[in-house]
Amino acid sequence: MSSVPIEYYLVVAAVLFITGAIGFLLRRNLLILLMSIELMLNAVNLTLVAYNRIHPLNHNGQIFTFFVIAVAAAEASVGLAIVLAFYRVRRTMRSDEADLLRS
Amino acid sequence: MATYIPLLLLFLIAAIIAIAMFLLSTYIGPKNPTPEKMIPFECGSESTGGRFVKPSVKFYLTAILFVVFDLEAVLIYPWTIQFRSLGWVGLATMGSFIALLVVGLLYVWKKGALEWER
Amino acid sequence: MNLDPFLAASPLLVVALGGCLLMVAEAFSKHGREENDSRSAGPSGDLALGTAITLITGAIFSAGIWFVGPDKLEGSRALEPYLILDRFSLFFSFVLCVGGALSALLAGGYLPEHKLDRGEFYPLLIFSTLGAMMLAAAGDLLSLFLGLETMSLGVYALAGFRRASPRSTEAALKYFLLGSFAAAILLYGGALIYGATGHTDLAGIRAAITSTAATEGAANPAVLLIGVALVIVGLAFKVSAVPFHMWTPDAYEGAPTPATTFMAVAVKSAAFATLLRVLVEAFGDPALTSWASGWPPLLAFMALLTMTVANLIAGRQESVKRMLAYSSIAHAGYVLVGLVATIKVGGDAQASIMFYLLAYTASTVGAFGALILCGSRGAEAVSYEDLSGLGRRHPAAAMAFSFFLLSLAGTPPTAGFFSKFYIIKAALGAEHYVLVVVLVLNSVLSAYYYLRVLVFMYMREPAPGAPLARPMRSGYVTTALVLSAVLVLVLGVFPSTYLEIVAQAALASR
Repeated sequence: MSSVPIEYYLVVAAVLFITGAIGFLLRRNLLILLMSIELMLNAVNLTLVAYNRIHPLNHNGQIFTFFVIAVAAAEASVGLAIVLAFYRVRRTMRSDEADLLRS
Repeated sequence: MATYIPLLLLFLIAAIIAIAMFLLSTYIGPKNPTPEKMIPFECGSESTGGRFVKPSVKFYLTAILFVVFDLEAVLIYPWTIQFRSLGWVGLATMGSFIALLVVGLLYVWKKGALEWER
Repeated sequence: MNLDPFLAASPLLVVALGGCLLMVAEAFSKHGREENDSRSAGPSGDLALGTAITLITGAIFSAGIWFVGPDKLEGSRALEPYLILDRFSLFFSFVLCVGGALSALLAGGYLPEHKLDRGEFYPLLIFSTLGAMMLAAAGDLLSLFLGLETMSLGVYALAGFRRASPRSTEAALKYFLLGSFAAAILLYGGALIYGATGHTDLAGIRAAITSTAATEGAANPAVLLIGVALVIVGLAFKVSAVPFHMWTPDAYEGAPTPATTFMAVAVKSAAFATLLRVLVEAFGDPALTSWASGWPPLLAFMALLTMTVANLIAGRQESVKRMLAYSSIAHAGYVLVGLVATIKVGGDAQASIMFYLLAYTASTVGAFGALILCGSRGAEAVSYEDLSGLGRRHPAAAMAFSFFLLSLAGTPPTAGFFSKFYIIKAALGAEHYVLVVVLVLNSVLSAYYYLRVLVFMYMREPAPGAPLARPMRSGYVTTALVLSAVLVLVLGVFPSTYLEIVAQAALASR
């Protein structure tokens, strides 16, 4: 059975990463910003696992992915907590309304 | 490319079946609505409250804690499949990892984050 | 069983264990429950002391292993490549522990005074310091990422510690969003480097780059270069170099001042430590360090931009806290100059950077500590006006503030002067004359806004009817100020002695 060439995975990952980055820069809803960051981290995971196939001597890429998944969960929970605290104080979910701190 | 055609077919058939079932029941199913039938179905009991109930903040706290503690299992899986070859060192390492999780759990517990009614 | 690896890693282990114990002790103490923290006396006193003791113990262990010599411990290499426990790591463990301990002492005075007395602050501070120590010791992209996130997650929470305040939560939000965006960029860069070289450890990356550059049949140089650029950008976010500094003033201004201190001191030092290690150990190959097609011009450009932009904006601030935030960005620019010089003069430039970070840590803790000292009872000293007339009303507080600002401005005989002097010397040795000229001009420029605080303190009278800033009384804050003042003076009076000691920690560019 022929397998999917590694470039396909890398391209998908790059597209995902760029989608996440553009979403992060353009969207204004805080939850969508959190999702964009998760999307970028998942693109990283896909890249790592794909590259692991051309470096099969060890499993560095896959091990890395496990840690990224675990850390992403911790990051998401801290992020959700911060967004929630922000919402409680300001009653808004939009990042462009976070404008109290200005020079 | 040719290897993916069966996969494409599978997706197509699945989509067709789903759409067909939906359309068929809409067009040829018998309809005789009564007021009881039009209310939202809630396991047979009388429905209460409005349609939009804001989930309580308590759920967020539980969800956040769940995400953290649940995902730590990811780090335990690789150890289980290499359990024998890693030996005592692996057991000690995983023991210290779980001990740290227990410290975290203890903290969450004593801080009262696990109490539903406060 | 050989205990040497544990001994070599003891600074990290001491801090980790101390953090866990303190965290559980805080939860089990009578203050642990949130309901009763508004009325009864808060937990800050004991916890601040416990945190400071834990971190100082970590610093003592680092110093102890330094004197024994990490290479004499048989198992000190057992944790490589994940943690490299050499003198470089020990030096930064020491600096980070000292910075963390001083921030904890500041918090011990600040939190009760401003009705923020919740115990979570201290465990978060310890674990962030632990992450920073891991980051400074990381010899593999994996442990680098873990250290970075351990450090950052704690600091995000510290920044938003005043949950009811819109400014504090906004600071945390901005810091979190840009921080994790930067982490994702860094990580993607790391993944691309892994793809191009097949290694995640810094030494392996270096070896792979050298061998592909030698045989010229490079696996994928474009992928490698993109990866290198992304990693540098990710770390530039963390050291808040212009143009990746947007979050810094907001996060620094909105966070509670002890948290700001910690961010300015520990986060920045650790990020510079890892930037230095990554650049020297992984990207130190001549193929990547040439002026034509490597990272040095990128960093030099960033250094120029960082110094100039930060100093220009800092002069226009009305809030002293925000001015200090921009000043910390400017200092990052000076350190970047030293970083550019490492390619040509190696060890000397590295020593100058490390000396700079030590001196900067002491001066910055002092400056923020003095700002904390000047406010009390929920009324913080924030703007220049708040400080007017302080020199006559409270000479001690004003004098402490002046002393640390003079060190930040780089006036002899303080640590700030010699640290800048060594950076300039290293840059001259590397023949980066443009950078040196810009650095000197910027130092002159920065004197304006540092001295402006002195002008307000000694030569202005508060407007009639304006609320007067009234310094708080706190043994913790005073202790922290005395300790950092001693450090600033000692480093300023015997600079060459300490520079020689620090020079032992320089990384060998293999």
